[in-house]
Amino acid sequence: MKIGVRFCGGCNPRYDRGEALDIIRKSKPNDEFVHAVEGEEYDMLLVIGGCTNCCASFDHFNSLAGVEKVWSTEHIPELLEEIEIARNRICNPE
Amino acid sequence: MLMTGEQYVESLRKLKTRVYMFGEKIDNWVDHPIIRPSINCVKMTYDLAQDPQYVDLMTAKSSLTGETINRFAHLHQSTDDLRKKVKMQRLLGQKTASCFQRCVGMDAFNAVFSTTFEIDKKYGTSYHQNFINYLKFIQKNDLIVDGAMTDPKGDRALAPSKQRDKDLFVHIVERRPDGIVVRGAKAHQTGSINSHEHIIMPTIAMGEDDKDFAVSFACPSDAEGLYMIYGRQSCDTRKLEENADIDLGNKKFGGQEALVVFDNVFIPNDKIFLCGEFEFAGMMVERFAGYHRQSYGGCKVGVGDVLIGAAALAADYNGANKASHVKDKLIEMTHLNETLYCCGIACSAEGYPTQAGNYQIDLLLANVCKQNVTRFPYEIVRLAEDIAGGLMVTMPSAVDFRSDLKVGKDGETLGEVCTKFFAAAPTCTTEERMRILRFIENMCLGASAVGYRTESMHGAGSPQAQRIMIARQGNIEAKKELAKAIAGIK
Repeated sequence: MKIGVRFCGGCNPRYDRGEALDIIRKSKPNDEFVHAVEGEEYDMLLVIGGCTNCCASFDHFNSLAGVEKVWSTEHIPELLEEIEIARNRICNPE
Repeated sequence: MLMTGEQYVESLRKLKTRVYMFGEKIDNWVDHPIIRPSINCVKMTYDLAQDPQYVDLMTAKSSLTGETINRFAHLHQSTDDLRKKVKMQRLLGQKTASCFQRCVGMDAFNAVFSTTFEIDKKYGTSYHQNFINYLKFIQKNDLIVDGAMTDPKGDRALAPSKQRDKDLFVHIVERRPDGIVVRGAKAHQTGSINSHEHIIMPTIAMGEDDKDFAVSFACPSDAEGLYMIYGRQSCDTRKLEENADIDLGNKKFGGQEALVVFDNVFIPNDKIFLCGEFEFAGMMVERFAGYHRQSYGGCKVGVGDVLIGAAALAADYNGANKASHVKDKLIEMTHLNETLYCCGIACSAEGYPTQAGNYQIDLLLANVCKQNVTRFPYEIVRLAEDIAGGLMVTMPSAVDFRSDLKVGKDGETLGEVCTKFFAAAPTCTTEERMRILRFIENMCLGASAVGYRTESMHGAGSPQAQRIMIARQGNIEAKKELAKAIAGIK
């Protein structure tokens, strides 16, 4: 899958957001993670916030399987499951 | 088109800005060791705009062109934009531990945009369109603009037109068919030398006699007749020392202020935003000051974050990190710092649209924000110095720590003696301890204290200016009615 990544602006992140993306990337080596660009279409949009506010703007990006947000490394296992669910949904549309 | 940090630095080299320091004209001011750290700060505003981890705060979509621009050139379109401004400023404070100088331009853009709209509405002038055309040029070329407000002011008891020397306020000395000629100066100008352009605004509300002083305009930093005299800072000549490093505390970054002198500078008509409509001088001042008082709820918080981190490291290195009073002092520093942030976010969240369409902060809350900024950084500094210990101002120089000069009876070198006697917890080297203590010195009473302390006091207006605004906005009569209603007073 092609997953667009949008970071919040990082004014006071409670963890290393870049490192979190590296962990996610390594956990899903067959998926492509790219920094989201307006006008491009992604299978999924991943928003990585530095705190619970997770204030990154993302309405201007297009994604087939919707948006997943993480604002803590604790969210990563759940995110990885959601990526699989989205993959199934995209590969096996009803 | 967004510039990279490197492109920004190179763009400065193309300017012919006239700069004086220590009685001399500085030709290569871009690489001057006293000035360069402040350029590095501004460069950071470009570098972070290129980094995906920060673009959400550092960039915005222009309301004028639809293009992606640096947020520092943005007209706030919502309360979300106002909040993101504060967050961006906190981020930059964290990355530089200094004043990064670009806020004054942003605050000037938003104040001049809304004020010119209302002037044109009353007088049918074309200042608003002049300003829109100018801002499009700034956004397109991703330029730095110094928003210049503070005149030298001379005798504070006298209005501009009553001063013995009229030059103590920027004023119009000649009106021509194609423009005006201005004269005077702006003092304490943050980032002026590092800016491509200047926007000049009046410094106080004015009466009819002050018409010639009610003037706002834009001009290039290297305009004919314009020059700048660099403001020196505490410990500034340490930057001139050979191999200056540890003793600087913050080698990479710093702030900058200068006196900007207008020696009969010609301003063409299309760069004029206010020219004699004296009753709007106060509006422009109040709006700029409001935005700038909001700004301090972001930038100083970011610097405070770094100082709190430095104090915590000093405690670790001193072996005092487990002491309950040290922990409590770090909690107090954090509490004070986050209170400032609360004020910055609050005045943004309570913002509202102006007649021109851009968003203005809540004036009462912005003034409360800045009033707290005149106090809390001083207490944060006091606590940082308490935790750091006296060594931050008494330790030998870095040269002594590195010296091979034999001074001991057993042949110990000066460096070995210094390293031996200033060692502390085993978790750090003596050099690491020296580095963090010098860093704290830099922020508390060295070159960066200009930005973190005195600028917190006087920047965006001295404390009394905020108290006047708080008095105006405080809604005391309504509060009296509240008390009467509950106390049974009719």
